[in-house]
Amino acid sequence: MTLQSARKEKPVGITPFDREWPVSDGHMGKNTSPFPRVNRFINRVLEGEFTVDHQRASLVTEAYQKYEREPQVIKCALALANVLDNVEISITEDELIAGEMAAPMKAAPIFPEHSFSWVMDEMKNHPWHKRLHDRYYISKHSAKKLREIESFWKGKSIDEVVISEMNEDELKGTNIGRGFYLLNLYMYGGIGHLQANYEKLFARGFYGLREEVLEKLESLDKHEDPAGAKENFYRAELITIEAAIRYFQRYAALAVKIAEKEKTPLRKQELNIIADNCRWVSTNPPRTFFEALQLLYLATTIILIETNGHSVSIGRFDQFMEPFYRRDIESGEATKEDIQELIELYFIKHLWWTKLRDRLTVIANSGRGMGGDSITLGGVDREGNDATTDLTFMCLDAIAHTRSGVPWVAVRWHEQTPWELKVKTANVIRIGTGQPKVFNDQAAIPASLRAGRTLEDSRNYHVVGCVEIDSGGKEYGWHDAAYFNIAKILELAINDGRCIGCGEHCDRWENCGEMGKRLGPQTGKLAEFSSFDRVLEAYDRQMEYWVDLMIRGIEIMDRVHQRLKPLPYLSTLIDDCTEKGIDVSAGGARYNFTGPQAVGVGTTADGMAAIKQLIFEEKKVTAEGLLNALENNWVGDEPLYALVNSDKIHHYGNDDDYADELAKFATDTYCRHVENRPNCRGGKYLPGVYSVSANTALGLTQWASADGRVALEPVSDCLGPVHTWAGSHDTKGPSAIAKSVTKLDHIRAANGTLLNWKFSPSCVTGETGRDNLIALIDVYFDRRGMHSQFNIVSRETLENAIKNPEEYRYLLVRVAGYSAFFVELSKPLQYDIMGRTELSFD
Amino acid sequence: MTDLNKQGYVTNIQRYTIHDGPGIRTEVFLKGCPLNCKWCSNPECIRPAPEVGVYPDRCIGLDKCGFCLSACPAGEISALKTENNRVMAINRGSCTACLSCAKACPANALITWGKLYTVQEVVDAVLEDVPFYNKSGGGVTLSGGDPLIQWEFSLAILKECKEHGIHTCLETEHHISPGILNIVYPSVDLVITDIKHMDPQKHRVYTGVDNKLILHNIAETAKKEMPLVIRIPVIPGHNDSRENIEATARFIVGSLKNRVLQVQLLPYRQLGIEKYRSLGIPYGMEDFQPPEREIWEKNILSLAELLKTYGIPAVAGSSSRPSG
Ligand code: SF4
Ligand code: SF4
Repeated sequence: MTLQSARKEKPVGITPFDREWPVSDGHMGKNTSPFPRVNRFINRVLEGEFTVDHQRASLVTEAYQKYEREPQVIKCALALANVLDNVEISITEDELIAGEMAAPMKAAPIFPEHSFSWVMDEMKNHPWHKRLHDRYYISKHSAKKLREIESFWKGKSIDEVVISEMNEDELKGTNIGRGFYLLNLYMYGGIGHLQANYEKLFARGFYGLREEVLEKLESLDKHEDPAGAKENFYRAELITIEAAIRYFQRYAALAVKIAEKEKTPLRKQELNIIADNCRWVSTNPPRTFFEALQLLYLATTIILIETNGHSVSIGRFDQFMEPFYRRDIESGEATKEDIQELIELYFIKHLWWTKLRDRLTVIANSGRGMGGDSITLGGVDREGNDATTDLTFMCLDAIAHTRSGVPWVAVRWHEQTPWELKVKTANVIRIGTGQPKVFNDQAAIPASLRAGRTLEDSRNYHVVGCVEIDSGGKEYGWHDAAYFNIAKILELAINDGRCIGCGEHCDRWENCGEMGKRLGPQTGKLAEFSSFDRVLEAYDRQMEYWVDLMIRGIEIMDRVHQRLKPLPYLSTLIDDCTEKGIDVSAGGARYNFTGPQAVGVGTTADGMAAIKQLIFEEKKVTAEGLLNALENNWVGDEPLYALVNSDKIHHYGNDDDYADELAKFATDTYCRHVENRPNCRGGKYLPGVYSVSANTALGLTQWASADGRVALEPVSDCLGPVHTWAGSHDTKGPSAIAKSVTKLDHIRAANGTLLNWKFSPSCVTGETGRDNLIALIDVYFDRRGMHSQFNIVSRETLENAIKNPEEYRYLLVRVAGYSAFFVELSKPLQYDIMGRTELSFD
Repeated sequence: MTDLNKQGYVTNIQRYTIHDGPGIRTEVFLKGCPLNCKWCSNPECIRPAPEVGVYPDRCIGLDKCGFCLSACPAGEISALKTENNRVMAINRGSCTACLSCAKACPANALITWGKLYTVQEVVDAVLEDVPFYNKSGGGVTLSGGDPLIQWEFSLAILKECKEHGIHTCLETEHHISPGILNIVYPSVDLVITDIKHMDPQKHRVYTGVDNKLILHNIAETAKKEMPLVIRIPVIPGHNDSRENIEATARFIVGSLKNRVLQVQLLPYRQLGIEKYRSLGIPYGMEDFQPPEREIWEKNILSLAELLKTYGIPAVAGSSSRPSG
């Protein structure tokens, strides 16, 4: 078959495009792969417990002590090298792709340079094995080793430096203060949220990358680099490249050693192949699909070892792996089945990666699949043509076969997406593991253009982590910079800058309420507002004040990361760091963004609607009456509580312009204050509108709100309508939700948006159920909705899972942006997911 | 000219329904039904006039609220029956169905079944989801009750929807004068109807009316070559004997010449008990113990097979697409 004809044929996976799997069967560990090795592999990975491992922390500390006087970037490079050279490594049974994240399978390495005091505090006072969810075990030996380095890191970790550099105003709204905008991810962890330039790595190999750096170093004009910053940077890059090469070669040597002792000839042969692969790609460009996968896996793993960031994403796997696939098939190097098995084994290898998060973060982002390692499939190519390949289908089949929640798969749809791909996508969605999520090129590409990326780069976008659009290989997007609760802004706007529920119980009482102060600026009292427009004005003023402060805080964090944690290894893999001689953390990338997200759209919109309708129009309630009811957490005001939760009030999510326009105002105001602000890496801010699961954490710091929330209840999730403990505010079904949500401007929210759907299995069964699901997504996308994901599970199942967690150990659900084992989630999050309106049509 | 200001009673306009007709549809439930089936799952649609439904569990307490008592014009001797600090029911004898209490209730403990809509209002609601109909091959379905109880209102809605190019589906019991069908059918793209029992006696016992007129109308519908879907609600112990199903089959191949798109056998679900209670209507199947899922599922599948031996395009359930 010629190249040309191979391309013209319709892409197809190893199963027919319309192969169906049982609906709502999202359990893992059921031997659903046709490859026995994959099933064995999954079961083995599932069995083990999660642990915490000290080795990385010890080796990094050792290097920091030894090279104390080196420039920071060199010190960081030597620290990475010390880890890669000395950490224990292993290759387990059935593995074909070698590699570990500087810790055994399912063990979390520790990153003391990012943050360490909470690790020590939790180890002592909140042992991880006693957590209700996100549980980890630690050996006595590891614990001892961690204690040994505790004193070294006092005052040195990024989190401590950041907090010491923020003033009272900059702290008061954050997770360290009143907690209505959360900076904790990048305060305690690394940045992540990026994709390495794999095309470049595959074209040149590590030798090629080294060559590039050497050339730059040799041609460096000392006059232009008086302080030697560039020279240091290049030297650091070289140190990390060489360390990476040695890391690959250590695996090669290990494979040979195990092969020598191996009795079964087949496994012996496999181990020798692993050795050959590791050795070859340690320096050279890969020649086969198998080699490319080995390089992809281990090169990515080293990024995860270098820094504590998550959502280090894979990108457009079905594009950059396609040439290897085609070559192997045409040359007879591998069969389609061989490739399929490799993809599935590779997917499972993502379960190796886990990172320990502090106990507050895991309330908001629970579920340990914190790799955030996304793969993007389908969509258009750089020229705008449909980019579907055989691998697109094969990856979706692999998701159906492995059902492990990783990697996080996004399928891009566009106007010319083949029907076959839509059917395959819908069929995999209907299994109910929450995978894949679906992205809309019609919204994401314009949003990306608006952010300032070129047309080609925009068409070539991929999804990092949960939600965010990224150009891949040339971007440092700080996509998860903050979660900002806009519902709290409405609260401050109707209460003259004071918190509702202000009192001694508040952590800040002594330097705020007790002193007669207010948290935010004085923007007037609801009772004195002559019209509803005054409410909106106050909302706007509060928003400006708080967005200013949030951005100041983020900028402080950014500068501390630049100073303390340069990333020379990652810099070799992101355009144009080497070219410019600037570290990726300091603005070396082609594109530099910062993306903080708004949370609580529904809560804010319904709160505004209740105020507008009841106080200013129907005059059924007075301003004092409402504020009193909120202060008292509705006690004594049960009729009002019932009323604001009833369909007698306009509510967002019902295709009702009254409330939907308020939702639009609420989000537009946020976007207007965030967008186009410059950041300190030469890029700009991009607003996002989604919560992932931060809505539960943000709810925990907010008192009762006018939409009918009681104190501490989660605020609304992502773009979804409100559901309070009194019930769901959306009553008109999916088409109304789709229309309401698309009245918001998704293209403006250029960092990403998300709508979570929850369907009961009965409404998506059969061919008609499938086609109606496709039609729903199509209409949502025609109306420029950006991103949807689905839970196909009945309330009954979730209730049973809460009651009998043992029976549902492997039940996967969609949280938001990612899937996780339901029984592993925090209680507030479990109830939040259960409360999302179930769309059932029996 | 369609009278867009014509009014009728609608209990619910449900968007995104997927089981009553092809594609994604908006279903308009109209009030009033000529039948009174023992197993009806939409009892709020039986009586033609608006009424109040009572959900005591949602009542937040007379001491805290009591808005309904103040609103009820029956005053001291309120039509609302209370007990343990809650509204429990309505004394339908003294209630004038003025609906004041439901309007006043903040908690949806009292709700109105049957609101007055103009044709324009219904059609506007239907138009909201046109993009969904276009993508999925859906449209509007009139249901109830029986939409033909308010046939002039229904006809106006159907006509106006057709004007907008929307696919129309009519679910009717066919207990109606044939002349009305002749007037309505030109505005209908698909008819869905039930055959509940072939035995006139049993039909009367279970539904309150004879089946003669119904079967006659269905035969006429088929003769006119109207696209027709027939549904058999399979109620264990009532109409699920092979004998009855075979009689139905003979009727379909004989009188209808098998001119049906599909025959759907629907399982009985004990839905609507809550609604019966809220309306103060006794539920004829309260004590009925439905058999285990495996049993009825198997039974329905075997009855579908039986119909197929007659060459009838029968399916179990309502979610497979008619062929042709
Ligand atoms: S409908 Fe009117 S008369 Fe009947 S109980 Fe309610 S308020 Fe009283
Ligand atoms: S108005 Fe509603 S909630 Fe209030 S007492 Fe009456 S039934 Fe109960």
